[in-house]
Amino acid sequence: MEKYTLIITEKPDAAQRIASALDLKGKAKKVEDNGVPYYVAEREKPIIVVPAIGHLYTVAEEKGGRNYYPVFSFKWVPRYMAERGAKQIRVWLETISKIAQGADAYIDACDYDIEGSIIGYCILKYACGGKENVAKRMKYSTLTKEELEKAYQELLPKLDFALIEAGRTRHEVDWLYGVNLTRALTLAAKDWSGKYATLSTGRVQGPTLRFLVTREKAIRSFVPAPYWEVKAEVEIEGQIFEAEYERDVVETKREAEEVLNACKGKDGVIENIEVKQFQQMPPTPFDIGALQSEAYSLFGYTPRRTLDIAQRLYLDALISYPRTSSQKLPPAINYEGILKGLSASPEYKKLTAELLAKKDLKPNEGKKEDPAHPAIYPTGNLPERVLEEPERRIWDLVVRRFMAVFGEPAIRQSVKVRININGQRFFLRGRQTLKEGWLRFYEPYVRAEEVLLPQIKEGQKLKVVRVVSEDKFTKPPPRYNPGSLLKKMEETGIGTKATRADIIQTLYDRKYVREERMVVTDLGFEVFEVLKKHCPSIVSIELTRSLEERMDKIQANMENRENVLLDAIEILKPVLEELKNKEENIGEQLSNAIKKARLEERVVGKCPTCGTGTLMILYSRKTGKRFIGCTNYFKKRCNAAFPLPQRGIARPLGRNCRGCGWPTVQVRIKGRRPWNLCFNPKCPLKEERGNLEVRNMQ
Amino acid sequence: MKCAICSREALQNGFCELHARAYRSVLKKYEVWKKALNISWKEYLSEVAKNPFTGEWAKEVAEHLLKAGEGQNGS
Repeated sequence: MEKYTLIITEKPDAAQRIASALDLKGKAKKVEDNGVPYYVAEREKPIIVVPAIGHLYTVAEEKGGRNYYPVFSFKWVPRYMAERGAKQIRVWLETISKIAQGADAYIDACDYDIEGSIIGYCILKYACGGKENVAKRMKYSTLTKEELEKAYQELLPKLDFALIEAGRTRHEVDWLYGVNLTRALTLAAKDWSGKYATLSTGRVQGPTLRFLVTREKAIRSFVPAPYWEVKAEVEIEGQIFEAEYERDVVETKREAEEVLNACKGKDGVIENIEVKQFQQMPPTPFDIGALQSEAYSLFGYTPRRTLDIAQRLYLDALISYPRTSSQKLPPAINYEGILKGLSASPEYKKLTAELLAKKDLKPNEGKKEDPAHPAIYPTGNLPERVLEEPERRIWDLVVRRFMAVFGEPAIRQSVKVRININGQRFFLRGRQTLKEGWLRFYEPYVRAEEVLLPQIKEGQKLKVVRVVSEDKFTKPPPRYNPGSLLKKMEETGIGTKATRADIIQTLYDRKYVREERMVVTDLGFEVFEVLKKHCPSIVSIELTRSLEERMDKIQANMENRENVLLDAIEILKPVLEELKNKEENIGEQLSNAIKKARLEERVVGKCPTCGTGTLMILYSRKTGKRFIGCTNYFKKRCNAAFPLPQRGIARPLGRNCRGCGWPTVQVRIKGRRPWNLCFNPKCPLKEERGNLEVRNMQ
Repeated sequence: MKCAICSREALQNGFCELHARAYRSVLKKYEVWKKALNISWKEYLSEVAKNPFTGEWAKEVAEHLLKAGEGQNGS
C-alpha cells in the first residue's frame, strides 16, 4: 500500500466525522483491526484516521508497589501498565503502532486543549515512534464538514508544545499530590484497622472539600434569629394587593405590634409613585461553567452529566467544542450561516428569521476568553438521529442561548408606590416588561416576573383590608449543590474546566459528601480535619490557586516545568513526613470515621414497630443472610425483622414509602433495573397490587 | 477528655472544636432573642432546640445545656 497520512483523534466518533469530512466522496471506509476501529479516507493521498479512547498514557511511579510513600519519581506509561481494567489499551496501542508504520505524515487532530494535546503528543511520541516533532496540528472547534476541511487545509505546522508542557506538568503535579496523600491516608487507616478503604485527596480535591466543610460547619452551628415581616393588604379597584412595610426586617415583637396597632382601622394614602425604566441586557454566550450551572438549575443535571451530554452533541457536530472558558463568539463562526441552518427547524424558524432580518448581528459577549476555542454555540446542523430527551434539552438550551445573545436588550419598568397608613410607610411594587427583546429568544428558560398595578395617582385613598405581621427566622446559609460548587471552584480559580466536574464526582464516590444538596459526611469531616491539622497547606485554596497560576504561565512560556515540579515536591516533603510521624493517630481517627460511615450506610430508618429503635441492614450470624432488623432487638425490646433479597446491593433509600410511610431500600442487581422496595408486609400498596393481580386473573 | 456531646477530644468548655463553635453561636444569639422576645436563657434554649432552622450541633448544644441546667455563663 502506498504511504498515507495518519490522523490521530481523541475519540472514535471524531475519527469517523473527520474521515468522512475529508473523504472526497464524503464516505470514509471503516476498518477494524483487533476490535480497534479506524477510517480510511480517499483523497489525492490516502488518509487513515485512527482514534484514541481518551488518555492512552498516564503518569505512574518508576518502581512498582502500592504500599509505600513518599513517591517522587515517575514516568509516562501506557495506561494498561498502571491501571487495572485497562487491558483494552494494550491492543489499541499495538494497532496504532502498526498503522503508524505505514504513514509518512502525521497529524494530531485531538481536541485543541490541554487534555487533547497531551493525548495526541503521547501517541505520537510513544506509539508512533517519536513523531511528535514532525507532526502537524489540526485545530477546529466544531466537527462540521466545512470547518474540518478548512482545518485540514490550514494545518498548524507543529504541535503546541507550550500547551503540552503545561498539561504534562498539571498531570505530574496532580499525580504527585494524589498518589502520596491518598497513600498516606489510606495506609494510615489500613495499618490501624487492618481493613482497606481508599481515602483520597488531591491538589484540588482538598480545597474543594474545604469549601464544603466550611459551609457545613456554618450550617450545623447555625442559630436562627427571630424577626418579623409586616405586610398590609390594600384594595385598589376591587383587587387586593400586598404592600411591604418600609423596613424589610422588624427586629422585635414589640415594634411589630406597635406597627399593627398604629395601622388598625386606618386607611392608606398614596404618598408617592416612583416609575423607573431599566434595560436588561442579553445574556453572554455559554462557557462550559455557565452551561453546567444553567443546566443544573433548569434540569437538575450534575456538571458531569451536562459535560457528557455536551460532549456527545459536539461529536454529533451539533454544537461547538464544549470544554471552553470563552464567552466570545467571533464573526468567523458565521452567525448568519448558523441561523440559516437552524431555521430549517420549524421550532426555530420564526425566531431565526427575526434575527436574520437584522442589519447587524452583534453578540453580547462576556469578558472571559479562551485562546483555543470560542464560547459554546450551535453549529447550525440539525440532529441526524432522534436525540434523547436530556440531549435535546441541552441542545435546545444552547440554541436558544445563542439566539438570545443577539437579541435586543429587554426594557422593563418598575413601579414603587409609597403608601402612608397613619404614619407607617408601606411599599407596593409592580414590574412590567415594556419590550421583550432577547427574553423571547430564551424562553422558556427565562421568565420575567410581571406584577401589573392598576391606574393609581398620588394622594389617592386606599382601603386597608388588614395589616399582618409574620413570625420569621433567619435561615442558615444554603448548602452547595454540584452546580454552585462548580461555580465556586471557577470563581476561586481552582481546577480546570476539564477536571472540576470529575473532582465533584470523586467527593461523592469517596463518600465524603452525600445528597444533591451536598451534606458532608462524618468521613468527609474527618479527612478534612486530618488534613487541616497535619498539613494545612494541602487544603489551602491560596496554594492551589498559585500552583494553577504557575501552570498557566508554563502555557504562556513564562514559567518552567521543572521549577514547578520541584517546588511541588518541596511542599509535599514536610507534609508527608508529618503524616508519617502521626500515622497512628491519623489511622485511628480515620478508621473510626470509616467504621461510622459504614454503619451509617446500613441505617434504614426509624423502626415503625417499636418507634424507638433504628432499622438497619444486618447479617445473620448463623446463616450469613442479610435482613432488616431493629437495634432494640439486642436490648430484647423489639423483634421486628424483615427479609431482603440476597442478591445484589441493598442500600437505604432515605425516602419513605408513599403507601405506608415506612422507610424503603433500593436493590441493585447487575443487569437489572434497580428497584425500590418497601419491606412492610402489610403495605397498602402491596395489597392494592395483589388485588389488581387477582382481578386480572379472574 | 472527651467532648460532653460526642466522642471527639474536648478542647474548651468541655466541648470539641465543632461543638465549641456551636456553643459560641448559641451564646452569641441569646442577646438577639432576648431583645426580640424578652425571654429567659432557659426559654431561649428550648426555642433553639426545637427550631427547624437550628443547626445539628447547635441543637445538640442547646439540648445539652438544658439537660445540664447550665446558666448562660456556664454556671
